[in-house]
Amino acid sequence: MRIPRGELRRSRVVDDAAAVLRAVLDEELTGYVVFEPQDALLLGETTRGVVTFEDGVPVLAYDTEREVGGRDGLEGFAVTGPTRAAVHAVDADALADAHEVEEFRVPPGEPARVLAGDERLAERTTDAAPAARREEGRDRSAVEAFLADADAIEEIRSEAREEARARASEWGLDDVLADDVGDSAAIEPGPDSR
Amino acid sequence: MVEAFAVASGKGGTGKTTSTLALGMALAEDYDVTVIDADTGMANLLFHAGLDDADVTLHDLLIDERDAAVSDAVYERFGMSVVPCGTSLAAFEAADPGRLRDVVAELAADTDVLLLDSPAALGSKSAVLPVVLADRIVVVLQPTVPSLSDGLKVQEYAHSYGTDTAGVVFNRVRPDENVDAIAEQAGRYFGGQTLASVPESDAVRAARREGKPLLAHAPDDPAADAFREAAARLDVRDGDGRDVAERFKSAVAPERI
Ligand SMILES: Nc1ncnc2c1ncn2[C@@H]1O[C@H](COP(=O)(O)OP(=O)(O)O)[C@@H](O)[C@H]1O
Ligand SMILES: [Mg+2]
Repeated sequence: MRIPRGELRRSRVVDDAAAVLRAVLDEELTGYVVFEPQDALLLGETTRGVVTFEDGVPVLAYDTEREVGGRDGLEGFAVTGPTRAAVHAVDADALADAHEVEEFRVPPGEPARVLAGDERLAERTTDAAPAARREEGRDRSAVEAFLADADAIEEIRSEAREEARARASEWGLDDVLADDVGDSAAIEPGPDSR
Repeated sequence: MVEAFAVASGKGGTGKTTSTLALGMALAEDYDVTVIDADTGMANLLFHAGLDDADVTLHDLLIDERDAAVSDAVYERFGMSVVPCGTSLAAFEAADPGRLRDVVAELAADTDVLLLDSPAALGSKSAVLPVVLADRIVVVLQPTVPSLSDGLKVQEYAHSYGTDTAGVVFNRVRPDENVDAIAEQAGRYFGGQTLASVPESDAVRAARREGKPLLAHAPDDPAADAFREAAARLDVRDGDGRDVAERFKSAVAPERI
C-alpha cells in the first residue's frame, strides 16, 4: 500500500489504542497512525500496522509486515499491551488516491472494536462518519422496540435519578437539587406536547 | 429578560455544537443571543465559529490567576455574542468549574437568550454544571437506541436540578428514516416538544471545515431550514421576573456563605 508521507504530529507509547483513536476522532485528523505493539518487539518480532483517517474517521487498515489490508490486516496488529502510536497528518487530497483501494477499507468503527475492544468508541466513530460510510440499516425497529418498553425506560430513568442524586452530594450540589425529584420525573401518560 | 438553555445530549457527536450555533443564529433574528462553549473539557465550538485563534477564552475566565475580564472572552460573530473555550488540557485542569456560575451570571445580565453548549459526559461537576445552571435543556438526539438512552439520562440529571426540557431536536436523520413515529413515542418520555428533525447533510461538515456555523455557510440547506424551524418553536421565556443572575449566583452550594 502507498500512502503519501505525512507530517509527524506526535509519537508515543500508549497502553490502550482506544486513547489514540479517540484523540484522533476528536481532533478530526486527516492522515494516518502507525501502530507498533511493543511486546512483540521484545520477542524480536516486528508487528506494525497503519490506519488512515479522514476527518478523524478510520478509512483503511494495513498490516505492513504481513502486507494484508482491511479487516484481516487490522487483526494482524491487534495485540494487547503497550503500543507505539505515531500520528501523522496528510493533506486530504493527497490521501484520496490511497483511499480508492477498496479491499483495504474498514468500516468506521472497526479499528476501535478490533484494536481496542471499545464498542462505545466504535459506535461514536460510526456516528461521526459521513452518511455514506455508516453501516446499513440503523435498525429502526430496534429503536421502536426500545421506546415501546416503558418499564425498561423507567428503569433507565430511575437509575439516572439515583445516580444524579448520589453525585450531587459528592460534588456539593445538594442544595440545588429540586425538591420534588421523583414526582416530576414520572412518565407522563400521553405525548407531552406543550 | 434572559432564558438560559443548555444544549445537551449525554452522548458525543450527536450535533450539540452544530445545533448550539444553528439555534443561536436563528434566534439572533429576534433576540440578543449569547453562545457559550461550556464543554470545557472537549471544547470545539471555536472551530465551528472561526475562532481557532481567539486570544482570550472561557478557560481564562475560569482560572483565578489569569485575571481576565468576561468581556475579553466575548466575540461578536454571525450576529451573536460568542464565548469560545480553549482546548488546552492543562487549562481545563487548572480551571475552577465553580467560576462558570459567575461568568454565566455576568453574561446573563446583558442578553435575551443564553445557549450553553454542554459536555457529552455526566461524570464530573464541570460536566453537569451547564445543565444545573440552565433554565431548560434542549436535548439533541439521533434516532438510535444509545442516543435515546443517553438523552433520557441527561434529562433525568437536568430534572433532578429543577431544569426542565424545552424540547428535542432529532439530528442526522437519514432520508430513509421517518422519525415521526419515533418522535411520537419519544414524546412520552421527553418533556417539551419535538422541535425539529434535522437531516444528515454534507453542508454541516463543509460548514465545520470552513469554520462557520451552518446557517452562515449554507443558509438554504434543508438542515438549516430545520434548525430555523426548531428555533421558531422554542418559546423563549423571560424567567418569570426572577433575577436570573441571582439564581445563578446561588447555584453552587459550597461557595454559598
Ligand atoms: N445534520 C448533520 N449532518 C451531517 N453531519 C452532521 C450533522 N450534525 C452534526 N454533524 C457532524 O457530526 C460531527 C459531530 O457534530 P458536533 O456538532 O461537533 O457534535 P457534538 O458537539 O454533539 O459532539 C461533526 O463532524 C459534524 O459536522
Ligand atoms: Mg461539541
